[in-house]
Amino acid sequence: MWAYILRRTLLMIPTIFGVLLLTFALFNLVAKDPARVVAGRNATPEVIEATRAKMGLNKPAFFNPAATTRPVAITSGPLAGTTRDKSTLERVGAFFDSRFFDLARFKFPNSIRSDRPVMEIIREKAPVSLAIQVPAFLISLGAQLAIALFVASRRGSGIDVSVTLLCVASLAVPSLSLYIAFQWLLGAKLQLFPVAGWETGIYAIQYAALPIVCAVFLSLGAGVRFYRTVVLEEVSADYIRTARAKGVSEVDTMLVHVLRNVMIPVVTNTVTALPFLMFGAIISERLFQIPGLGGLLVEAVFNQDHGVVMAVTYITAVFYCLALLLSDICYTLADPRVSLR
Amino acid sequence: MTTISYPDTPAAESNPGAFRLLLSRPLPAISFFLVCGYVLLALLTLIPAFTRAATDPLLQLDLPDGTSITEYAPPSLRNFPSRLLGTDIQNRSVFYRTLYGTRTALTITLFASALSLGIGVVLGVSAGYFGGWLDEFVTWLVATFSAVPDVLLLISLGFILKPIDLGFLGWRDADGSGMPIPELAVIIFALGLTGWVGICRLIRGEVLKLRSFDYVSAAKALGLSEARILFRHVLPNTLHLVIITFTLGAIGYVQAEVFLTFLGLGVSDAPSWGRMIDDAKLELLRGVWWQFASATVAIGVLSLALSLLGDALRDVLDPKTRSRR
Repeated sequence: MWAYILRRTLLMIPTIFGVLLLTFALFNLVAKDPARVVAGRNATPEVIEATRAKMGLNKPAFFNPAATTRPVAITSGPLAGTTRDKSTLERVGAFFDSRFFDLARFKFPNSIRSDRPVMEIIREKAPVSLAIQVPAFLISLGAQLAIALFVASRRGSGIDVSVTLLCVASLAVPSLSLYIAFQWLLGAKLQLFPVAGWETGIYAIQYAALPIVCAVFLSLGAGVRFYRTVVLEEVSADYIRTARAKGVSEVDTMLVHVLRNVMIPVVTNTVTALPFLMFGAIISERLFQIPGLGGLLVEAVFNQDHGVVMAVTYITAVFYCLALLLSDICYTLADPRVSLR
Repeated sequence: MTTISYPDTPAAESNPGAFRLLLSRPLPAISFFLVCGYVLLALLTLIPAFTRAATDPLLQLDLPDGTSITEYAPPSLRNFPSRLLGTDIQNRSVFYRTLYGTRTALTITLFASALSLGIGVVLGVSAGYFGGWLDEFVTWLVATFSAVPDVLLLISLGFILKPIDLGFLGWRDADGSGMPIPELAVIIFALGLTGWVGICRLIRGEVLKLRSFDYVSAAKALGLSEARILFRHVLPNTLHLVIITFTLGAIGYVQAEVFLTFLGLGVSDAPSWGRMIDDAKLELLRGVWWQFASATVAIGVLSLALSLLGDALRDVLDPKTRSRR
């Protein structure tokens, strides 16, 4: 089993490297120079150069041989004005002082709006997003499984057909429409929840309620459909027929036998959904004015905030790779037959 | 010249009955005609006479005290058909906006599908058929692109492509500034470069399977050129995947347009359903429901029809399910 895990980990390295390359190529090679965008249309080359320096973009793209020269000026302290020689280690490090390796080190250009490091902003806003997404995910997972098990055990009945139709219908309507409709219905018309806003601390619950409800309802469609298929495959297995013949009650059959064997795709889905919990709620955070990471991303797109968009894309992709690796490992733990292949 | 039928020939190479089989059941048939209806409506908007009708000034609605108001007019049967679904804040007919939105949505779908299917098929076939380092490279590329979440890749591409100006190609405005990429092109590129991954995987799997079939080895033994084998034998047998992916992918493209417009990366000069739903955010609170409802219903019906059609096509065209019948 450990050989399998090691193999999967080694196979993940080219993918992460590919993600690094892709992000770098998109944001540093294809994209218009962010300094030009910030400096404006009629900026002179000097102004553009100054903006680049301010944003920390005046490093070379891949390698920095010019920085490996030995003498470096001392700018402060008693020896100011003289030079000292860099150590070999410093020179090797300086060779890799480029935008590519900055990206690899998770060092992004500062946000344009607030001139703060992107990682700091993300660390601040992440708890807000998670406070909504984690409860929503847990509740929706429970609801999806419960409904899927209930519907699968009554296959072909009126309830099954109508639930399936509802799921298909909810997938046909764009999610933005559903969010707006829920916000209007539950917030403005029935006045059950505040329409938008956020407060820190315990008071956040009232503002988090509506986004959580919306997220749960929206995820039901795809989730119930998927888990229903998975459960139906399990239910047609021989051992379920045996259990029923033995006299095990319907509830017990479903919960004890089917659920345990259905756990494998559930775990895979859960682990791969984890990275999206942070950045995924883009629509709802913008509609409900929640100061989380989804809202950060939308604002960054509107403000042409290069560093933030690059950071969000890269971090989520790396997390997603790691999550895939983790789900592979969990798969091995759950089903020992897998690692023997 | 007599035609030899090889024992392992997948029947997809000639399948005249598939279309009739598709239309034989009520639900797929209705879906098919609905989708055709949408396409016809989109084509209708290209006719000059129709375009003229849509831009005629709407007649003013007169209130008892002599003032007239036309913004946010609710649906009514006056001035058919322009007032059928009401007007929005700029006195534009919601009916005509929905109709022209069809054109935007289907244009985006068509070109984005063409781009993504083009890239996906080319890469998938080369990887599956030629194998070796090409296969390794394409597999790595697919893994990389699928590691970045679709939504984020879409946003990133839209974000990057929007400010680029094509001045370096020599196209400049009168004042010397470069020409930005048209918004429609940005959306199409972003969607196309995001969507090729799925079809590439599918086609590569299918070609790997086809490569082992007897008729391909027979063709090679006969000395047919690689190109001929690819275009006459391998490629036609992957077409069923292309058709199914096109149909089901169209749903994603239509809904992605809504999402991109919400983020400010959509089309701003042409009517689009995404723009209508985006405007509806503020309108609903004032009790104006008609723009939101017509755009949502238009998208919902199209997505439903495409979804049912795609499922039915999968039943009809997939050789696995066909051989069982």
